[in-house]
Amino acid sequence: MHAFFALLKKIIRTGIGKGRFIMASLGLGIAMVLILIALQANSDFNQLLYSDKNQNETADFLVINKKVTNSMMGQPQKMVLSQEEIDNIRRQPFVQASGLITSSRFKVVAQAPGELHFATDMFFESVPDSFIDVKEEEWKWEPGSRIIPIILPNDFLNLYNFGFSLSQDLPQISQETVKALPLQIVISNGLISETYTGHIVGFSDRISSFLVPASFMDWANEKYGMAGTTSTASRIVIKTADPSNPALVKFLDDNGYTTNQDKLKFSKTRVIVQTIVSVIGFFGLVLLFFALLVFSMFIQLIIASCKKEIQLLVTLGTAPRQLQRYLLKQFIPLYIIIGVVSLLIVVVLQYQAHVVLAKHDMAVSPLPAIWTFAGAAVVISLVYIVNLVTVRKYILQDQ
Amino acid sequence: MQIQLDQLLPVPLKDKILQRKSGIWNENIVFNPGSFVKIKAPSGTGKTTLVHYLYNIRNDYTGKVLVNGKPWSDYGRNEIALLRQQQISVIFQDLRLFEQLTALENIELKRVMTPQPYCTPERVQEMAARLNVTHVLRQSSKTLSYGERQRIAIIRALVQPFDWLLMDEPFSHLDEENTRRAAALIAEECSARKAGFILTDLDDDQHFDYNVLYQL
Repeated sequence: MHAFFALLKKIIRTGIGKGRFIMASLGLGIAMVLILIALQANSDFNQLLYSDKNQNETADFLVINKKVTNSMMGQPQKMVLSQEEIDNIRRQPFVQASGLITSSRFKVVAQAPGELHFATDMFFESVPDSFIDVKEEEWKWEPGSRIIPIILPNDFLNLYNFGFSLSQDLPQISQETVKALPLQIVISNGLISETYTGHIVGFSDRISSFLVPASFMDWANEKYGMAGTTSTASRIVIKTADPSNPALVKFLDDNGYTTNQDKLKFSKTRVIVQTIVSVIGFFGLVLLFFALLVFSMFIQLIIASCKKEIQLLVTLGTAPRQLQRYLLKQFIPLYIIIGVVSLLIVVVLQYQAHVVLAKHDMAVSPLPAIWTFAGAAVVISLVYIVNLVTVRKYILQDQ
Repeated sequence: MQIQLDQLLPVPLKDKILQRKSGIWNENIVFNPGSFVKIKAPSGTGKTTLVHYLYNIRNDYTGKVLVNGKPWSDYGRNEIALLRQQQISVIFQDLRLFEQLTALENIELKRVMTPQPYCTPERVQEMAARLNVTHVLRQSSKTLSYGERQRIAIIRALVQPFDWLLMDEPFSHLDEENTRRAAALIAEECSARKAGFILTDLDDDQHFDYNVLYQL
């Protein structure tokens, strides 16, 4: 077959329009690199977001409530989440679990013991126990018990230690001390007033509120609940795998909800990165399309310019299959070289990204993802198929 | 391999042919394997057309050309190519050499078209020597005389295996001596393959011991 192909080379000149062919090859190379970079960047970004190396918690908790606007002020019923709205939130695919935050319908006054002379009006809220990550034995309350377990927001202690205590010349308190301090909690509804002992069991970044066990809240609301107060929820806590999910952010915006913006900050970055990656990928695809078009036209040109020769070859007994193999053999090795070179470029870029990001404590793998290799294989296959189809079509057309 | 004509009639020559008696057109004819067939035909009676029909590069006819009992139209492109590589060889009246190749390359093209060449390169040299064209083998076929080209086309047709050799006025531009040599070589090669041939020409001739004679 080799000797035959060597003779075919003298008959079917593939040299015509070489300039165009080189340009198209270059285009294919650039298209390939762009597509592979887009695939790789996507994979890297996912790795940064979700890989165990880059984050400690696999799920995150968000407290969602309606945005308070000027027009809503003084109309507490507008803050309330209706059952329909709650169901809608629960239906969203990014919500893994959800729990209503129940607020107290009684007055609470907390007093520090002994010499501290500290008393404050406050409130309680509760969430289902599954949203609390404090050890179970500490986080329970049974009717009759005078001790109420309480979780404080971390920010609260910080505000006291760094804001309040310094300005008032009061001592600073460590978390351990707070946990050891028994607080005097006075619960009243205007008619009855009872004193309990509050026991701080933990601090939370998750839910910025004064939390008590749900069992206590239900019991206390029943017992001390003031007439005229509603038991409807205005805040809901959800568990989500990915707080930077743009779908989540969009859902919140669309419905006028708000949450801890800090947790969503990744989302903006992610949207920007995704847009850039998509644009790169899109340009890659457009370029690939044009490269394919030029290749296809180039093959057409060769076959058209050798029409007579191809006819005579077939007359003499050359199988269309042989011609097809010969023509593909002229181009395919080049495509494979382009593919390999593009992959090598991406391998080098990825390694550099790995080194640079490692300095910032961000881990991405030093080698391109399997998807990138698969992408290269797909692009090469696509080019091969387009070539094969073109050659087949035009070789057969001439006969 | 059997070739059979079934009421074959070229569409462009139809009226002309039906006005007179023909031994081939519109008849049922069987060419038996291994037979040397001569078809004598005056100009304009469709000699070349017949060869083209037999070789399946034209199909503007009514009736059928059956190869191994199957009409040409039933063969696929790759099947036809295989037949042309293994079972049917041809010498065209207009020779059809590639001008961009040398004489030897034209022969080689046909020789190496099959993965396992039938002839050795030495055999090609021997045949070239017998037909007195050794000295032109390295020349571009463009620069050869018609007679030299004709002999190259004959050698090209003989480097492949075949059951039938189709020849369209193969000696038209050869002198008597060269015709004799070429005919002897063709007869030898046909016998070696137990192959037959179909030769069309204008006049009677004594180049071969023909088994069958037809008047077109």
